[in-house]
Amino acid sequence: MSKDNSNAGPTLREHSYDGIQEYDQKLPNWWLFTWYITMVFFVICWVGYYQFGIGMSDEKDIETAMAKIADFQKKELELINDDKLWEMSQDPKIVAAGAATFSTTCVACHAADLSAHIGGVKLPGLPLNDQEWKHGSNPTQILTIVRKGAPDLTKGMPPWEPQLGLQRVVEVVAFVLSKHEKGEPSTLAADSPLKVEK
Amino acid sequence: MNTLSTQKQLITFDDKVVRQFMWASIIWGIVGMLVGVLIASQLNFHQLNVTPWLSFGRLRPLHTNAVIFAFVGNMMFAGIYYSTQRLCKARMASDLLSKIHFWGWQAIILSAAITLPLGFTRGQEYAELIWPINIAVALIWVVFAVNFFWTLAKRNEPSLYVALWFYIATIITVAMLYIDNHLSIPTSWTHSYTLFSGVQNALVQWWYGHNAVAFFLTTPILGIMYYFLPKAVERPVYSYRLSIVHFWSLVFIYIWAGPHHLLNTSLPKWLQMLGMFFSLMLWAPSWGGMLNGLLTLRGAWDKLRTDPVVKFFIAGVTFYGMSTFEGPLLSIRAVNALSHYSDWTIGHVHAGALGWNGMMAAGMFYWLTPRLYGTKLHSVPMANFHFWISIFGILLYVASMWVSGIMQGLMLNSTNAAGTALTYPNFIETLTAIRPMMGFRIIGGSMYLVGMGLMLYNLVVTARSGKAVNESREVNVIQRGSVDNMGVKTTFLGDPVTYFFGGLFLFMGWIFLPKGADITALFCALGFIFLAVKKFAASHHSWSQWYERLLENWLPFSLLTFIAVALGGLIQIIPTVMVNRAKNMEDRIQQVYTPLELTGRDIYVSEGCYNCHSQMIRTMLPDVLRYGDYSRMGESIYDHPFQWGSKRTGPDLAREGGKYPHSWHYNHMMDPRSTSVGSNMPTFSHLFTEKFDQKTLPKKIAAMVQLGVPYPPMTDVEIKEDAIKQGISIVETLKADKLVASPDTKIVALIAYLQKLGKYDTPEVEEKLKNAPGGPKLIPGPGNPDKQRPAESE
Repeated sequence: MSKDNSNAGPTLREHSYDGIQEYDQKLPNWWLFTWYITMVFFVICWVGYYQFGIGMSDEKDIETAMAKIADFQKKELELINDDKLWEMSQDPKIVAAGAATFSTTCVACHAADLSAHIGGVKLPGLPLNDQEWKHGSNPTQILTIVRKGAPDLTKGMPPWEPQLGLQRVVEVVAFVLSKHEKGEPSTLAADSPLKVEK
Repeated sequence: MNTLSTQKQLITFDDKVVRQFMWASIIWGIVGMLVGVLIASQLNFHQLNVTPWLSFGRLRPLHTNAVIFAFVGNMMFAGIYYSTQRLCKARMASDLLSKIHFWGWQAIILSAAITLPLGFTRGQEYAELIWPINIAVALIWVVFAVNFFWTLAKRNEPSLYVALWFYIATIITVAMLYIDNHLSIPTSWTHSYTLFSGVQNALVQWWYGHNAVAFFLTTPILGIMYYFLPKAVERPVYSYRLSIVHFWSLVFIYIWAGPHHLLNTSLPKWLQMLGMFFSLMLWAPSWGGMLNGLLTLRGAWDKLRTDPVVKFFIAGVTFYGMSTFEGPLLSIRAVNALSHYSDWTIGHVHAGALGWNGMMAAGMFYWLTPRLYGTKLHSVPMANFHFWISIFGILLYVASMWVSGIMQGLMLNSTNAAGTALTYPNFIETLTAIRPMMGFRIIGGSMYLVGMGLMLYNLVVTARSGKAVNESREVNVIQRGSVDNMGVKTTFLGDPVTYFFGGLFLFMGWIFLPKGADITALFCALGFIFLAVKKFAASHHSWSQWYERLLENWLPFSLLTFIAVALGGLIQIIPTVMVNRAKNMEDRIQQVYTPLELTGRDIYVSEGCYNCHSQMIRTMLPDVLRYGDYSRMGESIYDHPFQWGSKRTGPDLAREGGKYPHSWHYNHMMDPRSTSVGSNMPTFSHLFTEKFDQKTLPKKIAAMVQLGVPYPPMTDVEIKEDAIKQGISIVETLKADKLVASPDTKIVALIAYLQKLGKYDTPEVEEKLKNAPGGPKLIPGPGNPDKQRPAESE
């Protein structure tokens, strides 16, 4: 057995367990230091977190971020009105972007041709290619429905603004509008909640 | 130490049970990995979910249970039975117990392989087996423990070798974890509800889950390493001192790290922080084991070239080092925000299971078989080929999971520059991106499986070339009384133990004492450490003598081990189970499930939906944007078991309720691709014809009431009527969309459940309900003490 040591002669313990012997090497310094560092790190961070409450809570972080988003959207929304949306529906770039989002997110219920039917079978959504609207035919009304969802969520449209972001929602509305004419006749559906209000 | 005795005895080791466990391990290992390759393929080719019992959600638990408990379990038992007898210089205490252990364990595995595909499950990861099997596991484990400790008591070797320390820790801790995490109230022979719910259930589950990794997949294999590696390389172990330090620190620290599976969730933050920091402090102790393994090879590195056994061992230990570095990394909250719920975790566990457990198993089997059959290994080149194909298989697997996990994690968490919208709002987009990686994983896994097949062939031919031999040797019988004679006082009042406990309790004081006293405790703890270091420097000889004495006393050693592993769990779990977290709970309280919704939930659990869908929106902006407001602690307090999940192959469902109409869910279950183009979810068409179980429903509600869920008093008939009535209303709604379903089918119950997800009351509403005359009575119970206590500040 060769004497391979960098620690000036490791002692070989006498006892043999079923032929297995053990050296009694010193603990490697780099190993010890790694460990000490993690311990010191724990104590420092724990004192910081637990004793002095350093670091904002995750909940506060989220609140701040959401408030920022709401603020941003409010500003954006101020710039949007019916005419602006009709204008966007003529912009091929915006419409194409809207079509892309529509084809991944909306087709499941409204179908690729906006008819809400596939092969004669009715899908969960409402047709968007006719002149009948349940929640109002004004572009801003449509925008609100896509953003916030139907008034009774269990029966219809989920809110898409949180997941898609305002910009994509606007693009999708522009895409839907591009299939319609400004000033075309429109009717409210028989079960429209807007009808009841009037 | 001086136990020289003239009395000699010829003993024959029980090597038969070793052989049995070894073959069982290899065969179950192949089965488990075959299921693994199948479910990996199902992720890419949903068409492979051909029948309900062959679907991903039911097979994934079978895969994990088979690899952990059948493959590694049997391997561990083979190694422990072989080495314990030799390290104790004694035959196993009872052949009968060994037999019961072996056959009992195989019966458990077989029953798991039957019940899991049938959809009988408890719905907690790695703890899926139904309650009768849980009892069998506990009993067989006790049989194993009795047999093992009895052998220790009868040993003819005064001192306990380090391998035995690890076996002791394994047996004690697994028993403790398994029993606590499987506490449940049965509602039938095949179904039960967990005693804990929501956040408490989550904490206990991951205390168990994490430490199943620690004490089922790590400590026994370290013990095996300490025996078989020095044997194979014929060199002394690198450092006894390192063994001591890393053993005690490993078993003590490991237990604390469980909450790192619940980072950024609604688990109280102090637990998240403890989980993270203890995981970081675990890095060095884990590497202590790796160093002791690798450096044992010093002076014999040439063996790495020639001996396949050494190759497997060294690769295994290296993977151990890699995984135990990756583990702490993934436990950092910021890293975890990216990695959690993604394939990165999957890659991490496979580096451990295939790399560490699998390679150690192969090394051990190649070393054992020739010795157990008195012959030579049939083919060294074939073993070498097995080594290389395994290594390439693992690397392909792990690397593709890294890429997949990091890519999907980045995509899911990515927002636009202003932080106002998600970059990839469509979940499926991120799934499509990782599809090629999921393909590579099938190839990597298959390569590993081929290696396993080669090993089986190689070892079978080896065994047939020889004859089963049971080794006999003459041993010196040690005199009883010369060992195992340490008293309570010497055990617990020795300097090392007193200083450790003193320091620990002061640290606990820092965490739990009120303001002012806590900082005092901290300073006392620091002073105490200083004293201990001084004392150690002055009298480390007496400390090492005390330890050597401890090694000759198995019971005090085991007791100290038990205390070391029990502490972390006690300190983390008891406050969460007992102490009021009113402030957090008060925010929102989950609405109680109606009978139909509860039934739907049982179907959700039974189909294994939790294997791909989480129900936990983390406190992270991308999660909130994608899935809605972050989940609160009170929103799962009636969930027995909790379904927070650990992997998002599909999107989170915590707020799925009311997001889509019934018809969407109907279509989605019938054909997921019809509503979500590109989805890899299996179809669940059988739910449309199968009726849900009405008969046991009253019993289930009764169990819930027993657990403290505030159901109003209902007769059995009322419960069933209520379920059908709700079913009819769902069917009516579906009819409006021209969809047909029968109100007593599983799909209707499942839709009812999915539509309830995320529904909560504010506490005021609940209070009003409670006090209203004739309103439902809230039944207090042990399940959620938090709710029972008045809101008071801590």
